[in-house]
Amino acid sequence: MKSFVKILAAGLVAGSALTAAVAVAQDYPNQPVTIVVPFAAGGPTDTVTRLVAAAMSEDLGQQVVVQNVGGAGGTLGAGQVAAANPDGYTLLLHHIGMSTAPALYASLPFDPITDFAPIGLVTEVPMTIVARRDFEPATLEDLIAYVKKNGEDITYANAGIGAASQLCGLLFMDALDTKMTEVPYQGTGPAMTDLLGSQIDMMCDQTTNTTSQILAGEIKAYAVTTPERIAVLPDVPTMAEGGVENFELGIWHGLYAPAGTDQAIIDKLTQSLQKALADEMVGNSFAELGTYPVQASDATPAALAQKLEGQIALWAEVIAAAGVEAQ
Amino acid sequence: MAVNASRNDFASGAIFVALGGYFALEAMKYDFGTPFRMGPGFMPVVLGGVLVALGVAVAAKGIGKPDAEAPPAWPWRGIVLVLGTILFFAATIRGLGFIPVVLISGLATALSSSRNSLLSSLVISVGLCVLCMLIFVVGLGLLVPWVGPWLRF
Amino acid sequence: MDLISSLALGFSVALDPVNILYCFIGVLLGTLVGVLPGIGPTATIAMLLPITFSLNAETALIMLAGIYYGAQYGGSTTAILINLPGESSSAVTAIDGYQMARKGRAGAALATAAIGSFFAGSVATLLLAFFAPPLARAALNFGAPEYFSLIVLGLLVSIALAHGSILKALGMIVLGLLLGMVGQDIYTGTPRFTFGVRELFGGLNFVAVAVGVFGIAEILRNLENEKEREVGVKAVTNLWLTRDDVKRIVMPILRGTGLGSILGILPGGGHILSSFASYSVEKRLSKTPEEFGQGAIEGVAGPESANNAAAQTSFIPLMTLGIPAHPVMALMIGAFILQGITPGPNVINEQPALFWGIIASMWVGNLLLVILNLPLVGLWVKMLSIPYRVLFPAIVLFACIGTFSINQNIYDIYAIAFFGILGYLLIRFGCEPAPLLLGFVLGPLLEEHLRRAMIISRGDPMIFLHRPISATLLGLALLAVLIAVLPSIRRKRAEVFVEDD
Repeated sequence: MKSFVKILAAGLVAGSALTAAVAVAQDYPNQPVTIVVPFAAGGPTDTVTRLVAAAMSEDLGQQVVVQNVGGAGGTLGAGQVAAANPDGYTLLLHHIGMSTAPALYASLPFDPITDFAPIGLVTEVPMTIVARRDFEPATLEDLIAYVKKNGEDITYANAGIGAASQLCGLLFMDALDTKMTEVPYQGTGPAMTDLLGSQIDMMCDQTTNTTSQILAGEIKAYAVTTPERIAVLPDVPTMAEGGVENFELGIWHGLYAPAGTDQAIIDKLTQSLQKALADEMVGNSFAELGTYPVQASDATPAALAQKLEGQIALWAEVIAAAGVEAQ
Repeated sequence: MAVNASRNDFASGAIFVALGGYFALEAMKYDFGTPFRMGPGFMPVVLGGVLVALGVAVAAKGIGKPDAEAPPAWPWRGIVLVLGTILFFAATIRGLGFIPVVLISGLATALSSSRNSLLSSLVISVGLCVLCMLIFVVGLGLLVPWVGPWLRF
Repeated sequence: MDLISSLALGFSVALDPVNILYCFIGVLLGTLVGVLPGIGPTATIAMLLPITFSLNAETALIMLAGIYYGAQYGGSTTAILINLPGESSSAVTAIDGYQMARKGRAGAALATAAIGSFFAGSVATLLLAFFAPPLARAALNFGAPEYFSLIVLGLLVSIALAHGSILKALGMIVLGLLLGMVGQDIYTGTPRFTFGVRELFGGLNFVAVAVGVFGIAEILRNLENEKEREVGVKAVTNLWLTRDDVKRIVMPILRGTGLGSILGILPGGGHILSSFASYSVEKRLSKTPEEFGQGAIEGVAGPESANNAAAQTSFIPLMTLGIPAHPVMALMIGAFILQGITPGPNVINEQPALFWGIIASMWVGNLLLVILNLPLVGLWVKMLSIPYRVLFPAIVLFACIGTFSINQNIYDIYAIAFFGILGYLLIRFGCEPAPLLLGFVLGPLLEEHLRRAMIISRGDPMIFLHRPISATLLGLALLAVLIAVLPSIRRKRAEVFVEDD
């Protein structure tokens, strides 16, 4: 009975949505827009979203509300937006996890490519390779030699399956063709705690979490994962400087609408996103986080779509090579 | 019942055995691992076994010690209506929307007390609906449609 | 900068009229939202976080801290009045607090909670001001083996939570541990006991379990013999504490404050243990342990103080090292970052006005909380005169909506129904819900730290004995078991000797 009501109702909604779509685009937005963050409030992705949402509110003349739908590595929130009405009032701001989900989760209820209409890239947070304060190697070259030599004797902390820190570690071990002992944690907070207490050896995490500790001398930084050195950590070399080529990794964030959203609405949102990213306040706040807004040319549907496709392919390979099974 | 044993101890022991058994058996499907690298099955199998043992011990302790008091009556009306309401709430909050779900849930729960008449239950449910709307939707900004997509035409 | 001038700076910030106002608004909002059934401190902060965005950094963080203790206190109020804990700590308060309320002593229980919280908060704030950096450093010596041993000690000591059968209490703890393992295993990503439902990958929601086994189960109990007796809590006889009460709560408050302050500093889950540990200690030390579980005022005073002291000192790792001790602190980090401050070791030097301002405002906030809540006790208690047949539908609805509003996850609501019936059955058959909740919150930690310790030690269990702190804690655990078991052994031996003679 219930499912019958659902089907009937879904049919009615779909029908009315089609006829209304054309008229809607012109006066969009005429009610508050919701951006779903598929993680808990207070995390880095949530922070990025709230900064962007505040700036977009001003531009669109409607409130942009942030809603946190956490769980299952971000796939619950993403699934909810994939199934939402494509009217431009429910959007998703997700990070790199959008591209790793297909490799990590069997039976995903959505397809990152076909179920979403990309709006644009938002930011790409650099990663840093760090170690406990009293870790032996002095430089990046030393570290690489040390890791190659000691392999599994080194403990490497990560924030669990699919976390940025795990992906970075996988890539690092892949590049050096070695294995370290992975020690998973429930989030980067506890992992950082143990690193500060020298309970474990190494970690790789976003600048958002590591910069203040590095600057205070609490932990050692060996490398950044960007093509060039970053402004807040001018003394930390890039991986390429240490002789590891093609090791580039950033935790990129993208803004999406459900597939089927009217093109005029997407265009409007892309423009609004670009304006928000050019906003001085947003720029300064991002700089505090150790990151920067992407160029206007990357805050476009095409750039995001290209990034997403490339990353899905890359991570499928890295994750399979590491022997991590989809759940 | 003429059995010379504690019904309460038997029942709680049985619940422990059943749940412990479920966890242990289900966890057998997961990787048990080694002490160095304990798998996801390690702790649940061990703890499930412990729970089964405790359940047996609880039941055994009840032998020869019948309960002092007669068991209270089962609140069938309450169980069906209160739990039914919660399940109804979960199943329909997204589809029917805030107002209808809260009205119906309030009415059904109020009716589970034999001290409420139909009229008083109606008053309670309308009052609660207004209160909840003010607190959660207006005050705390809960993002739920007033009337859900199943009822929109 | 020496301490006096630092504190002077702090108070100049905290006593700024605007900051006092926002601190008060924070405490008030926190109390009002925290008092809603099914909404604990974490949910309250998550919901009210956006309000603080438009304020400047100091004011925003002062207000947020105010929301935090307000919510903490509000949660205890619901635990006492309607047996609905919103966070693991108030589950302990519910044990004796609700029994006090049923005996018409809700006023005394609430007043005790307010006074205990204020005292503990003040002491812990001083501790924070004087010793924050060295304490945070010391806490870093706690690694996986130490936490594992600490949790084992906590579990063994907490059997005192039960006032009935010890076997049943053990069973409830183990059941709780198992329930805590539902969800995706963090080491391998394997989903466990989820029936393939992805909404359960993150595990069962604490609030759903607590609302089920405490709140819904209690409602079903009350509906059992509705016709014959008046249900719910009795009318309130005395709002204030008697002289005897005051005498009884002094020591528990002092001990609870000490215990909570120490445990709160440990970022890996110490604060969770604080109220459980305090309850166990009070019961052990009491001359009348049989009163515990029947409405012993010490069972409210100790855990409430411990809980609030731990809440305060759990700011230490956050403010000095930038690491969050629990979900509320993680939310606070988000708030710091949104204000353009990255929490970390440098905050104390780079932002002294902010650092000391927040510390000073904690004291101001605790004072405001007690000023606000002592008069409110009368109001809360009045709510109990609402007939139960009106009150309980409200509890059910608030619990559903509150739980839903946290994650928008309907499986959390299904879980309320499941744990409502399970809790009802178990309580009917003579088991108690508090040990189950303790197991539930400690289960994941126990497993996580055990497995991590074994990975770090390369599979050598001797790591627990080689590390001095861990070995000491395990020694204490052994001692606790011996103390519990010895009297009965001695009694048995005495019996044997008597027979021999």
